[in-house]
Amino acid sequence: MSARSTLTELHLRHAIPTRHQVVGAATQRRYLNQFICKAPQSSIPQDVSPSSSPATLPRFRLAVKDNIATASSDLPTTCASRFLPSYKSPFEATIVTQLRARGATVVGKTNLDEFGMGSHSVHSAFGAVVNETDGNGQGDGPRLSAGGSSGGSAMAVAAGEADVALGTDTGGSVRLPAAYTGVVGFKPSYGMLSRHGVVPYANSLDTVGLLAPSAAAISDLVIGRRSNSKSSLWAEHDPKDPTSLLPAARERCAQHRRGYHEDRAEDWPSTLQGLTFGIPLEYNIEELDPCIRDAWAAAAALVRHELNARIVPVSLPSTRHALSAYYVIAPAEASSNLAKYDGVRYGRRANDDTSDSDAADGVLYAASRGQGFGEEVRRRILLGSYTLSSEAMDNYFIQAQRVRRLVRRDFDRVFALSNPLAPEEDRSFDLSDLPDHVVLEDKFGPSEVDFLLCPTAPTLPPRLEDVFQQKSPVDAYMNDVFTVPASLAGLPAISIPIEVSATSGNVSQQPSNNVAGMQLIGQYWDDARLLAVADRMAKLFSDEHH
Amino acid sequence: MARIPMAELSRYLLSGQLCRHGCLRAQTLLRPIATSSARYMTTQTENKSTAPPAPTLDNQPVPLRKQLKEQARALKSTGKKKKKNTDNQTVPGWELTVGIEIHAQLNTARKLFSSAATSFNDTPNSHVALFDVAMPGSQPVFQPETLIPAVRAALALDCDIQRVSRFDRKHYFHWDQPSGYQITQYYEPFARDGKVMLHSRDGIAAEDGDSITVGIKQVQMEQDTAKTTAQPGEVQWLDFNRVGVPLIEIITLPVIHHPATAAAFVRKVQMLLSSVDACVSGMETGGLRADVNVSVRRTDDSDTATLGTRTEIKNLSSFKAVEDAIIAERDRQIAVLESGGVVEGETRGWSLGSTETRRLRGKEGEVDYRYMPDPDLGPVVIGHDLVSHLADSITGVLPDVEVEDLMKRYGLSSKDALALMLLDDGGRVQYFYNVLAALEARLGDDNTTSTSDRQHALLVANWCLHELGKLTDLSSDLQMTAEGQCRVPSAELADILFHLHQRQITSKVAKELLWRSYRGDLGPNGVTRTIESEGLWFEELPDREYAELADAAVQGEEKVLAEFLRFKEGKSKAYPQGKLMFLVGRMMRSGPEQRMDPASAERVLRARIDEVYIPALESKL
Repeated sequence: MSARSTLTELHLRHAIPTRHQVVGAATQRRYLNQFICKAPQSSIPQDVSPSSSPATLPRFRLAVKDNIATASSDLPTTCASRFLPSYKSPFEATIVTQLRARGATVVGKTNLDEFGMGSHSVHSAFGAVVNETDGNGQGDGPRLSAGGSSGGSAMAVAAGEADVALGTDTGGSVRLPAAYTGVVGFKPSYGMLSRHGVVPYANSLDTVGLLAPSAAAISDLVIGRRSNSKSSLWAEHDPKDPTSLLPAARERCAQHRRGYHEDRAEDWPSTLQGLTFGIPLEYNIEELDPCIRDAWAAAAALVRHELNARIVPVSLPSTRHALSAYYVIAPAEASSNLAKYDGVRYGRRANDDTSDSDAADGVLYAASRGQGFGEEVRRRILLGSYTLSSEAMDNYFIQAQRVRRLVRRDFDRVFALSNPLAPEEDRSFDLSDLPDHVVLEDKFGPSEVDFLLCPTAPTLPPRLEDVFQQKSPVDAYMNDVFTVPASLAGLPAISIPIEVSATSGNVSQQPSNNVAGMQLIGQYWDDARLLAVADRMAKLFSDEHH
Repeated sequence: MARIPMAELSRYLLSGQLCRHGCLRAQTLLRPIATSSARYMTTQTENKSTAPPAPTLDNQPVPLRKQLKEQARALKSTGKKKKKNTDNQTVPGWELTVGIEIHAQLNTARKLFSSAATSFNDTPNSHVALFDVAMPGSQPVFQPETLIPAVRAALALDCDIQRVSRFDRKHYFHWDQPSGYQITQYYEPFARDGKVMLHSRDGIAAEDGDSITVGIKQVQMEQDTAKTTAQPGEVQWLDFNRVGVPLIEIITLPVIHHPATAAAFVRKVQMLLSSVDACVSGMETGGLRADVNVSVRRTDDSDTATLGTRTEIKNLSSFKAVEDAIIAERDRQIAVLESGGVVEGETRGWSLGSTETRRLRGKEGEVDYRYMPDPDLGPVVIGHDLVSHLADSITGVLPDVEVEDLMKRYGLSSKDALALMLLDDGGRVQYFYNVLAALEARLGDDNTTSTSDRQHALLVANWCLHELGKLTDLSSDLQMTAEGQCRVPSAELADILFHLHQRQITSKVAKELLWRSYRGDLGPNGVTRTIESEGLWFEELPDREYAELADAAVQGEEKVLAEFLRFKEGKSKAYPQGKLMFLVGRMMRSGPEQRMDPASAERVLRARIDEVYIPALESKL
């Protein structure tokens, strides 16, 4: 293999893949740009809509975010990057294999922010994903942000082109697009679903997430329809992913949780009654859109009435540092993970025929990296390279890791269930360590909850034109403020759609899309109950509206 | 003492997969191990094809033959170093301080983070897992069996094995490093606080006395990089078979103050690693490489805590290079300071045979490695049971014990014992045991008493070291295996030595037979039948004929004979051995040499002098 020669350039000759040939106007109603590449029609069976017959394997259409490896020769894995415009992975991601074994047919690879870095799916080498609403039924609604980075996957589900879509959630990249497009987006506990074949952005935060019209569809895949857990994703360890929990650890975690071994058809619904939901006070931020705040209050009231739930305020004091910590840790890991894109073995190689591009500074890879990466990716690589540098490490990376630990302790303190992965000495909390403003429920401390209920995003989806006009690129980071804490703590979280009242917001500034996302966060490995509660709540929200 | 653990552990670890010989890795000898300016930045040699490529300083190819000769010479002279270089070891008024980092390839079947096999001369790019070439979405999977040689090495270096250790990413760009970072153990290495005892027989500087202890700061596991082979036309070929192969890096405290001691330390570490079978090959074949950190300060300052500014010399590939580079760098730093200058903290290089180190890059050229804990890899937890099991398994095989054993049991000199241990990565001493065992078997058949003295063992040691060494300049030509077999089959050498020991052949004939065995000319006849068929048996003159030759030799040498009389009368203190040997020489020249043994000639001559000629002289007076 030659470091200098042609191997890496072989792929380049394809240039931009044949998206326009495959994704025609007929299949994509409008130019939503949610797919980077679609599987040929011939490869998709016509009767792939969910089968109701229990006798046959339920077949469904699966859209795969394009930073998850697919081995089919029709489906390159581009990560929406100019670096990998036609990169064909020699292997398939474990999660895709697992879902195909459960009846999935891959219908295409969806658009995203390059390598998963972004909150509006606009930083793509293939153009922005468009979240276009119907407006008055005439197809001339405003062009909104689909959220990011799994915006293409969310839109594929919202547009009815996939029954389930795979996304990746590093700091909210599944939940935020779900909220903006009115679908359900689920981020599992870290280590539950295999990341093998997922092109990493920030390994310690990355999770594979699922998007679907309903939480039930996701639950069927992850938890299983019946108590037959052998066939469920949650029980499957992947030896190729070193962060995938070992079978013994999965079983140990499940022993202290409900929903993994019960038969859901029978005693399950009753357990959803009388739960305690915490309202994190620190999430009631100044920037919170009033219509979202109203929807939040309405959701809490609905849950109290219909599910006989207790609603209690809780305090997560480290929340205000979580976003900063995230934007230190994630770019640091990203700068490291993306170091492999040097154009030597695969991917785009800067044209060095003249030698000028590379020789100018005597660096083999500089021109390739400068040309291959988009602006946002370059920004995060630089940010991460700085925070890892020896002079800044202690002030940024190390501090951020400390904040991360505090965020996890915050969650562990408010949840009634303990975190099975926390070290033993971390499981008890001294009341004297609590901040002063935390309200104590009784002499034993503040109240403990089953789930946290909060909005997924502080606003409704912004218009794309506004996104492009944001003065500072950091403005977009604000959208992650409610989703990042669960990512830092590795907890399961889900965004479910809720209609917002058009009258409560400032209508003139709001797009006509009036759906928002309500987020539920659970303790580690409480995914089964989280999905069941989310499904129940989503139905309540939808019934209420109609 | 049998060196069973070598073979036993090989089977245990490798299921016979590892090719141990024929693995000269010429291109790797001067490969920078961890970093250098050339590694992360340069493609200068690759473009602008009109100009001759600028020499990338630390990648200058040195012919393998030259390199090996250099090393063989260094090895031969090790025993003398102490005396020869005494004046090199110190500079009055200055104190030298040296710290050493040694990189060694671990003896494992699999790579550190993938199940691809480790290999040497296999087809390039035939043992490469997805992770090894950093395919997007691939992940590292730690291979726990790599811990076995790593922990054995750390135990041989007397380290505390850490229960929990972690892997970190060290970032720098080079084409031989697919992921853009090397996975190493920076923050939490798996072993700390070791020590190595060096004795004077190890070749330490005389100033360090009988023995000195060198503290080991830490030992860490890390990945090797791909192998680069330069091709004509400014093309580099990459062999990713080597990428991800496990290494250990051994880091000493800055406690060494003499160049010879530094070289002795590296030699000793190689011997320790080889004796516990932790390492695939030694410095001669590129399996072990050293970086040294050098600083000097005036002896007046040596009670203060601060050392002088240090420079690092990268990638030294022989013991001699370690010593010579340190001497050269020490002298350079002293010259700089004495002329009022300041020593810059920088990285320097050294090429064999040179007299000065050269600057590779200064502080401003340093890479910031941006060490970061690897977020994919969990901590490594090493259980106490594994440590104690491995500690048991290396008991009794450490080289100091074996050197003592060779000296005590067989009467070898410390120098010869050490040389045996060191040659051919431990293969030579194994060969010694094999020849000795075969010889003793034959001696036992013929004469049960002759093994009780140690003469035969000394004979074997002498031939295994010196006569075998005379066959070729390059010890690699012997094709010695770890099991102790080479081009001269141990059984044939044992046969030769048996006949020599029994005085059935002369040593001249024995040497001729050795040479033919080396060339494979003995054929199916073997030693004994070759002697038989070619009439090479030593048929010694009877004493009567020796006496006749003695009489002839003494003829006309009355002056010489008078010396013997003076001795007998007590007029001179020393027996005139020189005169005696002069007369023996005359005997040998005048008689049939192939039938004569100088020892016999001497014995008979001496008897004739004592019994015939001295009485004759006395009676004359």
